Amino acid sequence: MARVSNTPASRPEVIQSLIDGVDRYNPDNVSILEEYLATQCTNKECDAMANLAILKLYQFNAHLTNDQVVNNILVKALTTLPEPDFNLCLYLLNEQMVTEEPVVRLIALQDLIEQARFADFWKLYEGDDIYKELTAEVLGFEDSIRANIAGAVAMTFQSIEADNLGAYLHLKGQALADFIKAQGWTESNGVVAIPVNKDNEAKTTVLTENIKFEQLTKVIGHSNDA
Amino acid sequence: MNYEEDIDITNEVDLVVSAYPVQDDDLDEELLAADQSAQQYQEIQIPEVVKKFILLFHRSVLENNVYELQSIYEHSFNKLTEKFYANESWPEPEGISSLVNDDQVFLTLYRELYYRHIYSRLTPTIEHRFHSYENYCDLFNYILNSEGPVALELPNQWLWDIIDEFIYQFQSFCNYRNRIKNKTKEELALLRDNSQIWSCYSVLNVLYSLIQKSRITEQLLVSKNGGDMVEAAGEYGSRPLYKMLGYFSIVGLLRVHCLLGDFTLALKMMDNIELNKKQALFARVTACHVTTYYYVGFAYMMMRRYADAIKAFSHILTFINRTKQYHTRSYQHDQINKKGDQMYALLAICFISPNGPNLEDPEVIEQGVTFEPVQHYTKIFMAEVQHSILLPTLRSYLKLYTTMGNAKLASFLEIEPEQLRTLLMMAKMRSRQIKWVEGTLLEGEYQGTSDLDFCLKQDMIHVSEAKIGRRYGDWFLRNINKFQDILGGLELSSRA
Repeated sequence: MARVSNTPASRPEVIQSLIDGVDRYNPDNVSILEEYLATQCTNKECDAMANLAILKLYQFNAHLTNDQVVNNILVKALTTLPEPDFNLCLYLLNEQMVTEEPVVRLIALQDLIEQARFADFWKLYEGDDIYKELTAEVLGFEDSIRANIAGAVAMTFQSIEADNLGAYLHLKGQALADFIKAQGWTESNGVVAIPVNKDNEAKTTVLTENIKFEQLTKVIGHSNDA
Repeated sequence: MNYEEDIDITNEVDLVVSAYPVQDDDLDEELLAADQSAQQYQEIQIPEVVKKFILLFHRSVLENNVYELQSIYEHSFNKLTEKFYANESWPEPEGISSLVNDDQVFLTLYRELYYRHIYSRLTPTIEHRFHSYENYCDLFNYILNSEGPVALELPNQWLWDIIDEFIYQFQSFCNYRNRIKNKTKEELALLRDNSQIWSCYSVLNVLYSLIQKSRITEQLLVSKNGGDMVEAAGEYGSRPLYKMLGYFSIVGLLRVHCLLGDFTLALKMMDNIELNKKQALFARVTACHVTTYYYVGFAYMMMRRYADAIKAFSHILTFINRTKQYHTRSYQHDQINKKGDQMYALLAICFISPNGPNLEDPEVIEQGVTFEPVQHYTKIFMAEVQHSILLPTLRSYLKLYTTMGNAKLASFLEIEPEQLRTLLMMAKMRSRQIKWVEGTLLEGEYQGTSDLDFCLKQDMIHVSEAKIGRRYGDWFLRNINKFQDILGGLELSSRA
């Protein structure tokens, strides 16, 4: 079965029925969804659909808005870039929130990740304690970001200078070596080799036409008539 | 999806069918007086041909003569509008009630057209907006809350237009409410005191109630997976009026959620509608067909599923082009062409702000500063476009080489080598999109969407391009035809 973006391996039944039905509009249910978000923040899973349902309730019932929850939803969405979740969340916030802290700070982080400016991302992130405060409630935030950066690198490179990789991941020495090993990559003489995968192989493909038998019935039928 | 009878949002949000409480008694009296004088005035003014039309119209509704209603709705009404009511409203509903024995159902239907005409030809006042909302409540109340299913039958086109117009007026009201400059104190007071009118919850409630009542979800599941349709449709859903209203409400929700900026939910509404199926219900009404694809394409675009967006847009643009000649006759034609032009230009749709400005806040009223959703969305979307701005240039260079040094290409692009590495990683991320393969619209698989691919080995860029293989099909077809001609010729000459 094809995937829907960012659906966790298993979604609790109560959440599933909530987001599938009209109960998703009932303001009384916001706390159930907020608790579910809290679980996601500790177990590294992300359920974009459920989190958008929270923002939807806030959109309709502005008085319910919990800034910390909005913050955590956005931080969660940062960990799933380059999926479009972050922007999809922004579309549901009102303009005031988008132009104020802390959302502006998070947008700045998003901006750098979207452009694959990973070294700049870490520079900004480490440059002010505020970012660690904003992302504090999302467990393993830095690891998730690193995993996605590793994904982008593995799509693009077959081999990369260890120094460059270290800058993208903001890791050095033993930590970098451990990370490389964990990914199944190998390092020698300052160059990291990344196994060929379907995204970084850059193989020349030939598009061939594919004619099905049914498409030929007209020709065959015609030749029978003749 | 799960809209069981016991999940009833009317419990939580009790809005749809209660008429709004008018709190301004003076205004009410004024309106009444205006209505009465208008009534006397109108009775003298109604031209004979219009009177006849209304009588025929009324009879056709009573007899459920859908065929006749179709022609009344699509032709006669518009013809008479051009002739008598191009610049003024149709006769007040109260003014014609004696003609139709005060038939309330007919008057509700008439009012639907009456207000719609005001919206399209004149400038609706706040009273028009309120009364039109009230009339929709009456109409939906009659359809949803009568004892058993109602016997009414209307042309599909009209049923679609009812849902379409209901959402349009909702959208129009949200924009109207947002513009608090130039509003009188009375208008602001009316808006403040009647915040439930045209509220998001009331509009969603109508659409969901129609879906629930018609059991359209169950019906779609049966038509997809097989089963007993009569049982799935139930008492209400087996009637065309309910079935079509339910179906159109799904498309309506697709649109409403797009307007509100919730693109994921918009596509989720379509979970049980199979876009690629021939003979799908949405294709029965051209305007519905166009709307469906327009908003599906738009939602995909906002979700960065550009390949899917392009597919939806090009499908419907081809459709519009191909059918242009057939629908020139009706008023729909203009709207459909407008949608087509909008898609060509990829103009942003008119988003709405669900809650409107805070009218309790004196500062907001004084400064007239309101939330403009269009600007908000454009800003987010443009930031994304901005990131991609170098990609076409990058692509045009890559196309020229099979291998190339990073530093060399960077100097062509007049950027630093490190910047280029970043750019290449971004290009790579952007070229992988979720693309629909099967299942619901939200499903899809990650696929490369570019015919150009590359990889980096340290500082060397390796480029590969997809090639189009030899086309055998055409060659064989031509030769089969040639062969048949020769055979035919031989047979002829052998007979001779």
